[in-house]
Amino acid sequence: MEASLRDELVRLFDTKLSRQMLLNLETCSRCGLCTPACHAYASMPLPKYAPAFRAEVVRRIYKRYFTALGRFAPVLGEAKPLTDAALEELREAAYSCTGCRRCMVYCPFGIDTQQIMSIAKLLLIGAEAAPEILSLLADVSISKGESIETFKEGFLQGIKRLETQVVARWKVEAGTTPIPTEVEGADMLYVALAGAHSIIPAAVVFNAARENWTLSFFEAVNFGAFVGDPGKTQLILDRIVREALRLGVKEVCICECGTAVRVAKQLSGTQPFRVVSLTEVHARYLREGRIRVKKLPGSHTYHDPCQIARNGGVYDEPRAILGRIVEDFREMSPDPKYNWCCGGGGGLVAMGEDTLDFRMRSSRVKADQIRESRADVVVTACENCHTQLENINAHYGLGKEVKFLSSLLADALVAP
Amino acid sequence: MSAMEYAKELDLRNLPCPMPVVKISKGIKEVAVGQIVKAVTTDPGALTDFPAWAKTSGNQIVETQEASGEVRFFIKRLK
Amino acid sequence: MATLNYLILVPMVYVAVAVFVCGTLWRVFRLLRSPRLATPLAIYPVKKPGWLYAAGDALLLPTVLRHNPLLWLALALFHLGLLALCIGHLELVADIRWLQIVPHAIFLGKGAVGLAMFVCLLYFLSRRMVSPTKELSVPEDFLLLVLLLLTVLFGAQMDWARNWYDYSTMSVDDYRAYLWSLVTGKPSIASVEGAGHSFMLVVHVFFANLLLLAFPFTKLMHAIFTFALNRIRRG
Ligand code: SF4
Ligand code: SF4
Repeated sequence: MEASLRDELVRLFDTKLSRQMLLNLETCSRCGLCTPACHAYASMPLPKYAPAFRAEVVRRIYKRYFTALGRFAPVLGEAKPLTDAALEELREAAYSCTGCRRCMVYCPFGIDTQQIMSIAKLLLIGAEAAPEILSLLADVSISKGESIETFKEGFLQGIKRLETQVVARWKVEAGTTPIPTEVEGADMLYVALAGAHSIIPAAVVFNAARENWTLSFFEAVNFGAFVGDPGKTQLILDRIVREALRLGVKEVCICECGTAVRVAKQLSGTQPFRVVSLTEVHARYLREGRIRVKKLPGSHTYHDPCQIARNGGVYDEPRAILGRIVEDFREMSPDPKYNWCCGGGGGLVAMGEDTLDFRMRSSRVKADQIRESRADVVVTACENCHTQLENINAHYGLGKEVKFLSSLLADALVAP
Repeated sequence: MSAMEYAKELDLRNLPCPMPVVKISKGIKEVAVGQIVKAVTTDPGALTDFPAWAKTSGNQIVETQEASGEVRFFIKRLK
Repeated sequence: MATLNYLILVPMVYVAVAVFVCGTLWRVFRLLRSPRLATPLAIYPVKKPGWLYAAGDALLLPTVLRHNPLLWLALALFHLGLLALCIGHLELVADIRWLQIVPHAIFLGKGAVGLAMFVCLLYFLSRRMVSPTKELSVPEDFLLLVLLLLTVLFGAQMDWARNWYDYSTMSVDDYRAYLWSLVTGKPSIASVEGAGHSFMLVVHVFFANLLLLAFPFTKLMHAIFTFALNRIRRG
């Protein structure tokens, strides 16, 4: 590696050294308690998949450039310089971690492996060794934010085409738009994904609850966060923040996408609007009696998306919803905080076929957990998890049905 | 509607996020520079994603057709 | 030999304590100086008051108890032993009256504490020799454990001798005279010289010095950082 690149990477590393990060880097006692917590390790017991081992890959470089011991006695901490080989290790460590933070529940100190992996991801970006597709996806999102006027027309036409499908499932009063866009002064801005499946059921429920809502031009997902680029993460989020401010909404509701929910909730800063997840909104409608539902037959279980539950605190709402709309609900893990990650987070699902083999091998424990739940339908509230769960279902021949919570709720709606 | 010559066709209907863009990015690399890929989609988000993707990745949407609820993009590989 | 003994028992102790105090303060200062991320990094559900739960996590290690009860037992014994030994050493410096609420001789464990810690340390070492903790371990981990083991062994040995086989060539007052002379800045090793246990003491102090010197530069800092980190996890 050239000296100039190395200097640049060390500088990038330095930008990540917040107080929290220093604590994460300097506290680990390598006790190994976190080892069985990681689904990758639990499914494939190789040392390189142990959380603390991944973290050490980053820590070794930290020691070499930022600590006294690493500079003067590198052998003690196995401090290592930044080399091409080190980059390769960083890549393997970072892109075999889904950022689920289950290991953090086990660690006696609460060391945040996801945060440590964000350093690895940033160094990979700096060395132009980050997964190309994730960078491209992030750039596409940013480009859309910069020139939304150019793309607006196509989007509006696409939305028009969906309206009949929305009305077919829930009749709106004459004069009401089934999928409103650009409504200034709306109460809620709904930020969906590209797919119709993230718009139609949500629209049906909004209309049933007579929500004063408007659909965002942008997709919620934040590829900047997946690739680990703080600058791009903020740019992609800012598109939505600006739109919300322009329309003057009271709430920004994020669709069923774990990363999007966490990023929007935790990085939007202090704003005149609140950020909520679709699941929270749906639970509220039920609580306030704004929608009426029936119970659907069949046994259901719920997969907690890590970024929404363990890392976002939304545990009760999905259970409250399912309690009202299904006859038979079965928990997957006795304590949802310990739910296994699906194995698709951190950009792995977005990398598509390239990561499929690893995703399947690392999710053996998840497959077992789903099988043992003995439910026929696996419900979840995250696009990423949904895709991964479908893949697991097929790969392990589980014979389940995988459904979005929002679409299940739309199915359960009854007329008042 | 004119029949457009294309080297490869991709069915990108009803895919989860972000598969339409992932698949087109891969697909375009499988044809030679100057050749055309036809991509079929129904998702509204794809209608903004594709132009933005073309712009970012330096390829060109040469034609967009709409028929029976779906949209067909004809994309020329430029590099 | 006498010079070496003196060097270890006096100047090296001062240097070690100075490095320990300044180094630790420096590490904490560096932490406080670095920018604080505004992003919430908690694990949910969060319970209030967060600081209380964080302190509970740091002091009682509930996650270890849940996932590895044997390790928890060893960690609890080891750290409580450490606490007891710290108190014992303070009492070696001077009487601490309020600690005598429970009347006891100095080193209230009568040698049992040292033995327990020794066993715990052997267990920690053995854990590091088997997969998967083996692959996680770096030389620093072994070095610190060995240092601790040696410090405890030679320290406890003096205690064991006094308590168990009535071998007390040095009395509590001899140790006290030495330590007090260090504290008051008029160092004298006269009271601990030339006795049967002098060698033990010198070796014990030597390894203890090394530990103090290592503290600010190694993962031993977890003793302090655990509170801050657990606070973050609790939101
Ligand atoms: S549990 Fe925590 S301290 Fe122990 S090895 Fe894992 S990250 Fe390090
Ligand atoms: S965050 Fe999740 S995937 Fe990453 S090391 Fe921890 S348990 Fe494993």
